[in-house]
Amino acid sequence: MTYAYAEAVLAGALAGLIGVQVVLRRLSYFTMALTHATFPGVVAAAILGVSITLGGALAGVLVACGVAALTRRRGQDAAAATGVIVAAGFAIGVGLVALQDGFSRELSSFLVGSIVTTGRQDVVTTAIVLILVAGVLAFFGRGLLFTGFDAAAARSAGYRPGLYDLLLLVTIELVIVTIVPAVGTILALALIVAPAAAARLWSTRLPVVTGLAVTLGMLSGLLGLPLSGLLDIAAGAAITLVAAAFLIASLAARRTS
Amino acid sequence: MAEPPPPGPVPAQRHASQPTALRIEAAGFGYRGTTVLWDVELTVGEGRTLALVGPNGAGKSTLIKSVTGLADLVTGSVTVLGRALPKARGLAAYVPQAETLDPDFPVSAADVVLMGRYRRIGWWRPTGRADRDAALAALDRVGLADRASTRFGLLSGGQRQRVLVARAIAAEARLLLLDEPLNGVDATSQERILTALGELTATGTAVVISTHDLAVAARIADQVCVLNGRQWAAGTPGEVLTPEVLREAYGNHAVDLPDGRTMLVET
Repeated sequence: MTYAYAEAVLAGALAGLIGVQVVLRRLSYFTMALTHATFPGVVAAAILGVSITLGGALAGVLVACGVAALTRRRGQDAAAATGVIVAAGFAIGVGLVALQDGFSRELSSFLVGSIVTTGRQDVVTTAIVLILVAGVLAFFGRGLLFTGFDAAAARSAGYRPGLYDLLLLVTIELVIVTIVPAVGTILALALIVAPAAAARLWSTRLPVVTGLAVTLGMLSGLLGLPLSGLLDIAAGAAITLVAAAFLIASLAARRTS
Repeated sequence: MAEPPPPGPVPAQRHASQPTALRIEAAGFGYRGTTVLWDVELTVGEGRTLALVGPNGAGKSTLIKSVTGLADLVTGSVTVLGRALPKARGLAAYVPQAETLDPDFPVSAADVVLMGRYRRIGWWRPTGRADRDAALAALDRVGLADRASTRFGLLSGGQRQRVLVARAIAAEARLLLLDEPLNGVDATSQERILTALGELTATGTAVVISTHDLAVAARIADQVCVLNGRQWAAGTPGEVLTPEVLREAYGNHAVDLPDGRTMLVET
């Protein structure tokens, strides 16, 4: 159970951290496509008996490249391309599940996670990824900020916005596959977006928004786990509910203030 | 709608011996191989100002974007400060229209100006005091030193545009490319921007500015280039901003006024 708490808190921190980039660049919908595309990858990996992290990551990166290629073509808009890929990816996952007998239990754990079965290895992995992602965001912070805010001027200053987009997509995917065992493919999106979206309502300074998003993400994990026991629902769902509650409370508080 | 000044004697301001900031030769510009602007032949010396004028869709933005690498050079050559495209990318500072940027982005005016210093700071070094001072000095040049910590999106449209000009000043580039920086900008901001540009050219920075305000072009430019799908004319404001040239380039959108001047109708 200690591992479950450690994993919930670390996953929350990780999701909150990357969530700021997702919300700033308005990539929430795109991230949803990534989380959904991760699902067939995870299922396929489970069927084949290989690492589900690897399978999920591979599928996610494929989708990221697919959406990037579609949106770079003139006349294709990102929302349409992403929408099709969301549905197609999810359909492939469902199809793969249907091919297997007695697979519904695993299906549920891929969709909403199974944090109570987390082991020491998962916690260590999440901690390493957290350090890695924090390092990437710090090292490439200025380039990400410039290309995110004003890609045209950044390009004229010698930055390559396309490479930064790719770096960010790969980082987002890394976060998704890391937190999927804990919160599941479908719920990962909420844990990524909700703390960052809530944090943004409280401050207009990026360092403050980031700190607040990480804190809210960690609190979602910390409070979500006992809540899941209390309500007898999946931990991933409880964590997501807490994260969503933070967002709704922030919206209400900022509206009345 | 804009009016050119009455034609009159304008002193020739070409300095053939001046070092070149931007040289465009036999160039066609466009997107993905499709040319939208043909036959461009321009040279901008250091410390000089080139104004690009023409109706909407004439190719003013395309030309500027091509120099920054945002649109394609289809034929011909473009040389920025002695280096040919695409190697020349990163040498010029680009000033987009402020309205194209996300006002919700959590960055202050000073943060935005500091972006102009990023190239100098490098990847690994933290932002130093010298860079912060340079950013504040640049904000001061456009009259916004007291708004440094204000969120970019909370400033007025004109103030945002001034912040973007300040960012280009902070970058200390030798060539500035401004895409319609005066569109929808209040009078105070317009004067601040034009004054700042004048100060920059006095120190040797070359400025390329697109505008549909011919009076502004006549006032600040050493050289005016009239575009409409191709380069129709280039020369001093006195040579180029004549009813004959404008009527030809703007087609039906140029209207002769009774006093002999030409009024342009934007469509």
